[in-house]
Formats: sequence, structure tokens, C-alpha cells
Amino acid sequence: MEVDYSGDIMTLNMGPQHPSTHGVLRLELKTDGEIVADAVPHIGYLHRCFEKHVENVDYAGVVPFTDRMDYCAAMNMELGYVLTVEKLMGIEVNNRVRCLRIIMAELSRIASHLIAAGTYGNDIGSFTPFLWCFRDRETILDFFEETSGARLLYNYNWIGGLMHDIKPGLEEKIIEFIDYFEPEVDNLNRLLSDNFIFIKRTAGVGILSPEQAVSYGVTGPNLRGSGVKFDVRREEPYLGYEDYEFDIPVGLGEHGPVGSCWDRYMVRIREVKESCKIVRQAVARLTPGDVREAVPKRIKPPAGEVYMRTECPRGELGYLLVSDGSLKPYRLKVKSPCFTVMSAFREVSRGAMIADVVSILGSFDIVLGEIDR
Amino acid sequence: MLTYFRNIGQGIMTIVSSMAIAGRHLFTPSVTLQYPKEKWLLPERSRMRLMNKIEDCIGCGQCARSCPTECILVKTEKRGKEEAPVFASDGTAKKLRTYVFDIDMALCCYCGLCTFACPTQCLIMTGEYEYSVYDKDEHIYHFAAEKPLTVAGESRQNPPEG
Ligand code: SF4
Ligand code: SF4
Repeated sequence: MEVDYSGDIMTLNMGPQHPSTHGVLRLELKTDGEIVADAVPHIGYLHRCFEKHVENVDYAGVVPFTDRMDYCAAMNMELGYVLTVEKLMGIEVNNRVRCLRIIMAELSRIASHLIAAGTYGNDIGSFTPFLWCFRDRETILDFFEETSGARLLYNYNWIGGLMHDIKPGLEEKIIEFIDYFEPEVDNLNRLLSDNFIFIKRTAGVGILSPEQAVSYGVTGPNLRGSGVKFDVRREEPYLGYEDYEFDIPVGLGEHGPVGSCWDRYMVRIREVKESCKIVRQAVARLTPGDVREAVPKRIKPPAGEVYMRTECPRGELGYLLVSDGSLKPYRLKVKSPCFTVMSAFREVSRGAMIADVVSILGSFDIVLGEIDR
Repeated sequence: MLTYFRNIGQGIMTIVSSMAIAGRHLFTPSVTLQYPKEKWLLPERSRMRLMNKIEDCIGCGQCARSCPTECILVKTEKRGKEEAPVFASDGTAKKLRTYVFDIDMALCCYCGLCTFACPTQCLIMTGEYEYSVYDKDEHIYHFAAEKPLTVAGESRQNPPEG
């Protein structure tokens, strides 16, 4: 006798106020017992009309709004935008600005990956790494605050330069921090990454195969976690990244198949170390100079269209800017890395356990501010 | 069955080793600040509440034009020819009488763009951060000190509406 069990599908809403969704995201889970038959993400709870709104703001005024897209890595968001406008206007910045931008961007990447690792540990059920990560992130935020005056939303990268030069002596403090921080990463590895329980919860879960990742247009650590070696800093260097020595870590699949949650998590931890290397090199290359040398009096780009992509901590961030030659952008389209990875979420989580959905979502390291804009 | 017990054993071992790493922190001093009593020393570039030294403001409205959230309202009128000239402390003639200079700190996004636009550096961001109020309207700070002489209809408003 055959029994048809397929009617027992229950709809379960996860979110929008769920602690593991890192923002306001609603997941509509169709559950078959413990197994997730389908997971539909509903986004838009944090929509602030960014793209439409910036059409009414002048070019310099857009920078504070880009900060608010990915508030965990605001430096990288600004950087992408100012590089786009500079590309359209043909502004060349001097070496000091380039090095400082790289230092800030990489420090911001470290801070952002620390949040990712910390909150991921928290999602899985260990609270200590979260506090450790935030402790080290705090030091980085102190550097940013000392330089730009704000802790989270900096408005530090300007079109054609930077808001302020760094305070004298900050280079040494940054190097001191990197010296202290690199061994701390190994501590974090011993505490969390190599933890047997953590590996059991993440390895072999939420496998995103390289083919799937590429076909969904997933970028950044999520793509590299699937073993695809692609980094915009290498493929299409900007700010002189081609002169820096750093590796691009990829998921190796030490525990189970490549592309699991653990691989994606581990890529971030390894990237933090690479960022440390870049910061060291950038500090060594700092030359004196005026950081506001190339800031134009009036920002009025010629009419035209430009696309620029940068590697932000969560993946490839692209800006498409259309200018009609006026003082305000005609159109600004953002290609957000978290949005593309969210589209792959449905496929990855199909067939997973309910508890693993939290694990999968955390490993993607999404920021809702950037998905919804 | 064997795997089951091995998993339990490894689970316990991993907790013990993690506790050993975390346990070192039992002996580090506490870093908690007892906030209202103790305060953090802010760096000098801190961007908190805006302050306008209205004596130095020439009413040019550059700040209002550069503000992305349009939270500054400047209303000025021309000073009459017969009036005694007034100067800002850096010697710039104040040709306009600023009779409204309101900043809505509830709208402000603390980007600091207005302070860089100001030609006389009279608009600054201070390190003051304890200014919560019960009513949102109390976040509108009025800086203007002078009263308009002409009727409001003849005055110029920055930024122009629309
Ligand atoms: S800090 Fe920014 S948002 Fe606030 S008043 Fe100045 S320009 Fe406007
Ligand atoms: S830019 Fe400065 S001088 Fe001009 S209106 Fe604003 S505060 Fe006054």
C-alpha cells in the first residue's frame, strides 16, 4: 500500500524580526516536517528609495547615502561611488590618496568580516567569538573615528580626494594593531573555526556548487567559497591593487564538499589575513601629499555613462552612473552583491533542515540595507 | 554506535579546548565604562551636533545648498544702504541680514558637508552628543539673532523652493 505524505506542507514565516536574518528579511518556508521544501525570501522591508532619491541630490551629497547601504562596510561603499564619478570626470588622485583609500578599504574589510564571523558564530550558538570579533573591530572603528570623525557612516571618501588626512602617528598605530591582530586570527580559528561542533553544523550544509554560483552571478567570498578564484581587485584592478601582493583564498573543502557554509566562512577568515598584508604594504607606500588636491570646486561631470566595479567585503559592487551633464546624477544603478546571493538562497536551502536555514543564511553574510537600498 | 560515542567525545574535547582559550580572559581587567559617570574621550574631529557662530555667518546659504537632506533653512534680507556695515570676525562684510537660521538635527545625517561649504567656517560640528529631547520639534535649533525689517514677502529664501 502506498501512502502519499506530500500534502503535509506547512508554511512557516521566519522573520521579518528574526535575530538570525541580520535585518528585516522575511523567509517564507514551506516545511515538510523538519525539511524545508521551499524557501522564498521576501525583501523590501528596508527599502529607502536610494536610487531614486540620489537623482535629487548633488554628486557630493550622494556619498552619505551610499554609506547607508551597507552600514557594516561603509568605506567600501563610498569608495565604489567616488571611483565611479572620478572615472566619468577623468580625475587622477595622487599616491597618498590612493594608499589611504586602500588602507581604509582593507581595514573596513577586516571590520566587516569580523562582524560576519562573529555573528555567524552567534547564529550557530557560540557567543564568545562574537565578543572577541567586536573587540577587535572596535579598534578599527577608533581609527576611523579619529580620522573622519564618525564611527560608522564616514563620508570620508570624497570625489577627488579624502575628507581629512590621517592624524600624524596613525600609521604606526595601524601597524601596531595589525601586529597584534594577526595572531588573534589564529586564536579565533582555534576557538571557532576548528571547533568540532561548529564544523558539524556548517560543513556539508548549504552546498553551493561552482556552476550554480557562477550561473546565479554570486560574487565575493560566497563565490570564492565555492572554489572559484575570482576577485575584482585582481581581474580589474583599481587604485593600483595590481602592485600589491596578496593571495585570493578559495574554499578548499577540507570538511566535506566544496562550497559548504564552512568554506564560505573560512574564506572570510583567510581574507582577513590577506587584508592585513595589503594594509602593511599600503602603509609602507605612503608618500606625503595633499589629500584634497584633486577635489573639484564644482562637481559637474560631462554627459555620459560609466560602470565601475569594486570588490567590497560582500562581493562585487557595481555602480552604473548616467550623467546628463547637470549637477545631479541622471540615474545611479547599484549592482549589489547581497542581492544576487539572495537569489541563490532559494536553491541552496531547498531540502535543508530548518535549523540549517539559519546556518546557510548566516554564511551568506547579507546586509539588508544593501539588498533593499 | 562507535561514531556516536566518538562524536560525543570530540564534542566534549572541543568545548574543553575552547574554554581553555576563552578562560584566559578571566584575568584581564574589565573595560566597561559606567557611562553617565564616566565618559569616553572623543577625538577632536568628532561629528556631533552642529553649531553656528551666528556673529560670523554672512547668510550666504552655501551650507543649505550643500546639505543632502535639506535640513538647514536660511532666510535673509539685504541690509539697507543707510545701515552701518557689519563685519564677520574674519573681515567679510555681512551684506545680508540672516533672520532665520534653523537646523533640524532630527533630519541631519551628520555628514559634515555643510561645514566644509561654509566660507567663514562659522558652522562647525561640536563634540556634544547628549541632546535627546521629548519632542521632535525641540531638535530644530534656531540660531538667528536678528529680526527682519522688511515684510517677509520681500525676503530671499535659500534654498529656493521647488
Ligand atoms: S551635517 Fe550634513 S545633513 Fe547635517 S546639516 Fe550638515 S550637510 Fe546637512
Ligand atoms: S555657509 Fe556659513 S556663512 Fe554661509 S549661511 Fe551657512 S553658516 Fe552662514
